Amino acid sequence: MTSTAYNDGFHDPVFKAGYLPGLQDDEVRWKPMQLGTPNDALTVEFPELSNAQLKTLASRIRQASRAHLKSCSVSDIVQTIDTAIARLLNANDPYRQALERLLPRATGFDAAMVRLGLNSYLQTFRSLQLQRFVTEDFANPKILDEFQVRPKGGWGKAIGPDLLVHVWAGNVPALPMWSFVSGLLVKAGAIGKISSAEPIFASLFARLLVEVEPRWTDCFAVVWWQGGDDAVERCVFAEADVVLAYGGNAALRSMQDRMPATTRFLPHGHKLSFGMVSNAALSVMRGQAAARAAALDVARWDQQGCYSPHVFYVQRGGQMQPLEFAQHLASELAALTSKFARRTLTLEETASVASWREHHEFESLRQDAHRVLGDPSQAFTVVYADAPQTLMPGPLNRCVLVVALDLLQDVMPLIEPQRAYLQTVGLAAAPEELLALGDALGQAGVTRICALGAMTSPEAGWHHDGRFSLLDLVRMIDIDQSAELAAENLTSYEL
Amino acid sequence: MANGSTTSEDIARELLTFIARPASSEEAFNDLALSIFARQFALNLPFQRFCQLRGRTPRLVKSWRDIPTVPIDAFKEFTLSCVPAEECERVFMTSGTTRGDVKGKHHHPNLAVYDASMLSHFREHFMQGTARLPMGILFPNETLMPNSSLAHYLGLARQHFGTADSAYYLDENGLRIDALCEALQKAEQSNQPLALLGASYSFVHLMDELQARGLSFDLPKGSRTLDTGGFKGQSRDIPMEDFYAQLSAIFGIERRLCINMYGMTELSTQFYDAGNHSIPSVKRGPHWLRSRLLDPLTGQEVARGERGILAHTDLANFNSVTTILTEDVGIATEDGFVLLGRAQGTQAKGCSLAVEDFLKAARG
Repeated sequence: MTSTAYNDGFHDPVFKAGYLPGLQDDEVRWKPMQLGTPNDALTVEFPELSNAQLKTLASRIRQASRAHLKSCSVSDIVQTIDTAIARLLNANDPYRQALERLLPRATGFDAAMVRLGLNSYLQTFRSLQLQRFVTEDFANPKILDEFQVRPKGGWGKAIGPDLLVHVWAGNVPALPMWSFVSGLLVKAGAIGKISSAEPIFASLFARLLVEVEPRWTDCFAVVWWQGGDDAVERCVFAEADVVLAYGGNAALRSMQDRMPATTRFLPHGHKLSFGMVSNAALSVMRGQAAARAAALDVARWDQQGCYSPHVFYVQRGGQMQPLEFAQHLASELAALTSKFARRTLTLEETASVASWREHHEFESLRQDAHRVLGDPSQAFTVVYADAPQTLMPGPLNRCVLVVALDLLQDVMPLIEPQRAYLQTVGLAAAPEELLALGDALGQAGVTRICALGAMTSPEAGWHHDGRFSLLDLVRMIDIDQSAELAAENLTSYEL
Repeated sequence: MANGSTTSEDIARELLTFIARPASSEEAFNDLALSIFARQFALNLPFQRFCQLRGRTPRLVKSWRDIPTVPIDAFKEFTLSCVPAEECERVFMTSGTTRGDVKGKHHHPNLAVYDASMLSHFREHFMQGTARLPMGILFPNETLMPNSSLAHYLGLARQHFGTADSAYYLDENGLRIDALCEALQKAEQSNQPLALLGASYSFVHLMDELQARGLSFDLPKGSRTLDTGGFKGQSRDIPMEDFYAQLSAIFGIERRLCINMYGMTELSTQFYDAGNHSIPSVKRGPHWLRSRLLDPLTGQEVARGERGILAHTDLANFNSVTTILTEDVGIATEDGFVLLGRAQGTQAKGCSLAVEDFLKAARG
């Protein structure tokens, strides 16, 4: 395969991933990889830094973040991010154009889905939302800027890490922004490791930020290493105050093993999400709308997100029966394939979808009420199960199971085995059901309940996996009342 | 055309004649495939319902290519047999490595066709003109593993093509390494070529052991190996190239005679390559077996030169189902296919999921 390193107007040149302050391109070893589909491959060069280069980078960032980030007020930081986001929401901005061009090629996601998905995502990072984000964790955001009076007496200040290391995932484009922005809001210097599946967003976002605020030039870096590289991970984690990582449990465990005991580790492991539809939402009018919203949750990012639903539990007894809901869901998914095409699947992904379908075909041979809806040539599958089914992950890529239940409370034992993995529930229920179900789901391990159709768009300031996005990053410094009182005895003047 | 009234014996007799021919035309293959399909559709209820689900009944199927491909998992889920299971002479079972304890079962009313298929193809590709060879078998015998198709296969090899001093070197106590070393030394001195046959992972264990003892051999010209099954989960996972390089170096066997057999419990016929001097080698089946590379979802054949999932139509599967969809990835070649390994679920990305984690959780 040949790749040309010039822009002929049709093909992008090789994309050099990362953002490496203080390092020239020719000082770095670059590893080329082909992303996207074979017909429209994108060559991305990933920086392979030596341990010495990583150490130098870490110390440079630590110093710069002390000098140029810790000295900014939270309001200034919010304004800078807002300016950058405004540029990314502007269709004429070159960074925006680069994202629209490169993200679909690198990830294979439909271009329209990327464009609309980016907009709805970026919206949650504008000034108003960011302020809400900060206030969610800090009732008085000034505590990030200077010592504030504490109700208990004395004074307190929240201090972000000098060096926060992010290990990002690549399942959904632009995902790194949550933790990248969280780090900035608490004034943390950062080294972010991009995933080889989506190296584009974080690299461009870092470059844009320093264009908007040149004083941040040395405050963060975007790097890459082969995930699981023992020597590199030991080296980088030893430099970090806090490590925030996304990945599988095995990878997270091995990262933890490579970390000093004193490093704070914030792991986000694999998650499993699902939907629930009460018969309150299953009138003839409402049922159709619920199916449409559910279809969007399934189609967006081809179910690759931790918040994407694998199963919908649907209550019997409404005007629309669960099987009809499944049929509506199938026709909505069929309609969406022309609006947002599904990614071209690899042979392995196709095999995994096929084997899931086969499993359910076998089941349908045993039970008449079990149905596989959607032709294999269509880019989705809906399976209808009349018997209760334990929550299990599907093969992704728009394959979803609809399970009929008499009562939504019957869901609880079915999700119990996955307790440690539960995240989002897309819920369509009446107001009087909301809090009772919320309680039961919370006890079962769920950390977020949202409307159908909103599963893939968490709000600013959400508690990702039930944790605090900003509070978890900082440490508090207390000046006890005793110190204040003692100081009062040490005045230079006499009382 | 065969239907429900054709007996197993009739169909077996027809197949034995078919196998004994030197080759077959597309038309003859197609006729026999459709006739076996019609019989399986009539007599095998789970298969009939599967065909109906896929909209492929004998009335609509005009070519062997249209016979529904049955995923190998179906051998775990259903009894795929034209005769009642209890009337079958032998049931071969899968080792059950991929899905916990559930084993796929392949029912054989009699082994005449299986044996004829094995012997004919083995003679051509492994014996290559030699009538008998002393054989060292690195696998338990049929008494120890009555449900293993590989144990039966190796038993046939020994019985029909092995000399009297052929022996098994693996039993319930493990590899009989001392006895095997003795046999290897004897062969080395005798100028009589030796054949070593067994599971690929047994060869890995053997080579590890010989290396630990600092032993290697220079077996007489014409000595050969037959390995099968890959290494996953049973021993060190080593690259093909290293495996055959080691095999050749440790036993002094030319790589042209290090032959790999590709077989499955769900088939009644095997594939062979013509040695592993270049890798990956091309696997070939006989005229009663045809293979295609498919898109596993649509069932369409992939374009020539593209990766696909292997589907096999094995006429010797006269009692179960002729056409199966494997979980193996391959690429078609002029006269066979290259095997590229298993279609593993893609590495789960990021925070979305890893099925294995969940399965573990669900099992508790």
